[in-house]
Amino acid sequence: MPLEILPSRRGHAVVKESDPPVLPVCGQPTVPGVISERACAFYGARWVLAPIPDVIHLVHGPVGCAYYGRNVRRKGYRLFSTNLEERDVVFGAGEKLYRAILEACTLVPDARAVLVYATCVVGITGEDLPGICKRAARVVGRPVVPVNAPGFCGASQAAGHDIAARVLLEHFIGKEAGEPVENGVNLLGEFNVQGDLDEIEALLEQLGLKLICAISGRASVATMAQAHRARLNIVHCRRTGHFLAEGMREKFGIPYVKVSFFGIEETATALRVIGQFFGATEVEEVIAQGIRAAKVAAAPFLSKLGGKRVGLFFGASRIGSMAKAFKELGMDVVLAGSQFGCQEDYQEAGNKVASGTVLVDDAHERELLEFVTYRQPHLWVGGTKERFLMQKLGIPFLVFPQENDPFAGFRGFVNLARQAAGLVSAPVWRLT
Amino acid sequence: MRLKEIPIEGVPYDQLRIEKVPAAPAYQPRDPELVPAANRALVVNPDRICMPIGAMWAVLGVHRAIPFVQGAQGCTTYARYTFCRIFKEPATIATASFHEDAAVFGGRRNLVEGLRNLVVRYWPEVIGVVTTCSSEIMGDDIGSFLKEARARLRAEIGPEKAEQIALVQINTPSFAGSHVEGYDRAAKAFLQTLATKRDTPHDRVNIIPGLLYPGDIREIKHILREMGIEATILFDISDTLDAPLEPPQRIPYYPPGGTRLAEIKEMGNACATIALQADAGGSGAVYLGRKFGIPAVAGPTPVGVAATDALLQHLSRFTGRAIPATLRAERGRLVDAMADTFHHTMMKRVAIFGDPDIVAGVTRFVCELGMTPVAVAAGTFSKRFGQEVEAAFAAYRDLFLDTPKVFNGSDLFEFEEYLKTLPRLDLIIGNSKGVDIARELEVPLVRVGFPIYDRFGYQKRPIVGYRGAELLLYEIVNALLDYRYPDDRTQQL
Ligand code: SF4
Repeated sequence: MPLEILPSRRGHAVVKESDPPVLPVCGQPTVPGVISERACAFYGARWVLAPIPDVIHLVHGPVGCAYYGRNVRRKGYRLFSTNLEERDVVFGAGEKLYRAILEACTLVPDARAVLVYATCVVGITGEDLPGICKRAARVVGRPVVPVNAPGFCGASQAAGHDIAARVLLEHFIGKEAGEPVENGVNLLGEFNVQGDLDEIEALLEQLGLKLICAISGRASVATMAQAHRARLNIVHCRRTGHFLAEGMREKFGIPYVKVSFFGIEETATALRVIGQFFGATEVEEVIAQGIRAAKVAAAPFLSKLGGKRVGLFFGASRIGSMAKAFKELGMDVVLAGSQFGCQEDYQEAGNKVASGTVLVDDAHERELLEFVTYRQPHLWVGGTKERFLMQKLGIPFLVFPQENDPFAGFRGFVNLARQAAGLVSAPVWRLT
Repeated sequence: MRLKEIPIEGVPYDQLRIEKVPAAPAYQPRDPELVPAANRALVVNPDRICMPIGAMWAVLGVHRAIPFVQGAQGCTTYARYTFCRIFKEPATIATASFHEDAAVFGGRRNLVEGLRNLVVRYWPEVIGVVTTCSSEIMGDDIGSFLKEARARLRAEIGPEKAEQIALVQINTPSFAGSHVEGYDRAAKAFLQTLATKRDTPHDRVNIIPGLLYPGDIREIKHILREMGIEATILFDISDTLDAPLEPPQRIPYYPPGGTRLAEIKEMGNACATIALQADAGGSGAVYLGRKFGIPAVAGPTPVGVAATDALLQHLSRFTGRAIPATLRAERGRLVDAMADTFHHTMMKRVAIFGDPDIVAGVTRFVCELGMTPVAVAAGTFSKRFGQEVEAAFAAYRDLFLDTPKVFNGSDLFEFEEYLKTLPRLDLIIGNSKGVDIARELEVPLVRVGFPIYDRFGYQKRPIVGYRGAELLLYEIVNALLDYRYPDDRTQQL
């Protein structure tokens, strides 16, 4: 592979040659001076916690962090920030934070809790965040929870996912009494991107299961308080889900399964695993029906995709299942990488791709550029940041997490096929 | 088209009138004590971003330049994401990648090693070193780090190549100001670092556009061309952030265009400097004026008739060129459009928010249109803002029925709460952050300013110059018409 690599990056990109594959080095801090695709821990924490509707999200830091933090989800919620200014940095911002918490609670009296996010500035000045939150909590009469996720902690946004998961476990999950629900399940690490959650929920319903709480795609304080009533936890995105699932197993003894609902086969496997746990009889029927419908609906698109090369670069735990989904579309995955993968993610992805595929962790813009220039994929899948660059190079781009329709479940697979086929054969590329 | 489906500038009609989607889950009456931003420790829905992003914006307007952000990864990633969303273009911005060790020991290693890595992978001509709040709090001594970095580059790639790379240090502690000030500081830093002594004065004009979009800069270039004036546009994003798609290209990818390093060095020799926005870029003009004795003007943003007139007069005065008939005709067309539409715009009550320069410019223009600005809000505090809008009001006060309210450096929460107390409002002009307010108040929103991320093409449509004003006028009138006649009874007009 002609990838030219900074010496300090050797080992972060490998070509799959054997089974089991050699895995790329991962979990390391990014090399300084590159155009990194990673975000910060604060972002990770916001990504997980932002969808919780009935709490106040108060960003304790400069106004910039707050603005960016708002962008992680397309939600019209109010944005609260302590807007640290020079004098706060010099004289300390503890009192300001305390006042801000009280004010926020006055403005939104029925919020169930306050989440206080500490960003880089606070991380460096080192305030007594827990102390202030505790003091404020006594006055406002509801939990005030510090989310201590300064941007520089950990190697990437993944650190923030863990911090957020810890917050949820400690302060929100299973806080109310309740009997176990016989057919109750939770989805962990499912963020309801463009209705993914609805697709999954519909499938679970066909198995006769009831979704109690999806963290954090549909996680209000009230539903999370009831989450311990589930009998099984279904982990969708491992990055956030795993930590939560382990915690809930320890705390409440709820077993969990790790599955994926991307792609036909993965969805079928997921349903089988879940169905088996509950002894559901109609599983095979649901699967057969789903597959039949999906195959018919996706057929017209597949002919456009056969043999086309695709590169994947996005959130870690999805690359494995997405690689498989793209194989089901008849495409050759030529690169599978992520900003913040862990061993397990690359293991899974490595097992699912053909030899010759590049596995890469924390690739930065230049590496991706070189890769696409030399390998000329027909389609690139990744985040908005890379999108416009790839398009400038003439490579069709699919944004994932997706921007239009759900990709999860059997019907989601058809959407994926439609999108991929549409992009690959877009007339614009005949005109350039 | 069914009645329900007619969109009103970002607010689908069905949501406006039929089933309104509340902007926030819980919307209760406010404690009046907490409405004014000045009374709060809290900022709710700020209308400003942090200082570094303004500096990055500026650096991206220079040819083969890359901003290097001395901070943690997030600060870079979000900015890139923001630029992507606004311009639909790639934004190459390098990170120093602060981690725990940097937070404890400072960012020296990150800067020295980072610049080296950036240079060997991208070979930029200019690197703008942009500091962040974390770097500033830790007290990074960027000046000495840069010397060290330069020494390292000299050793590694040879003195000749190392000297060719311009390093510009831009201090932007984001807790000390907003993106507006970040841009301003970048302008000053570039000129301080690069502009050299006046040896052979020439008759070029320096233009510092400020936080204007590619479409605006193209319009300014059009005006300059019509007048036959040569100019250096400092931070010319018109091509770098609006590049054609022409694959295949070489890597690393650099967009075409941008201000050339050689041009910036020459800016000390120009015959005059015009900063189109006083707050964003004005310091650059003032600096050149003081240092090299070049006449300088800062602002007003040339939106509308009077402000564009002023720009042309400045240009004409500085260069001795007459204003050509073509531009006079453009002015005439704008005025004609104003006459054609006046019965729709007159006495319409409008609220305006955004960055101070833009808001001041738009405010004056809506006054020219006979509209009544009922509230104007600058998200970033600015001393000039108050004066500028007051001057605009003063010129047209005889037309207003009541006194407009001016917010300077407040947040959108206060702005929105104030608008709710008004008896009637016809229009809001502001950036994409106003969508929630427009929805809540059931008033159309005309998108102007920074950022606009939820619609396509706005970064290409100018608002400056006579032609830009004409386009903005149509936008305003059509928003009012869409709102008033959602069932499309156009034939009745
Ligand atoms: S200052 Fe830190 S927490 Fe805030 S955006 Fe930058 S990296 Fe993230």
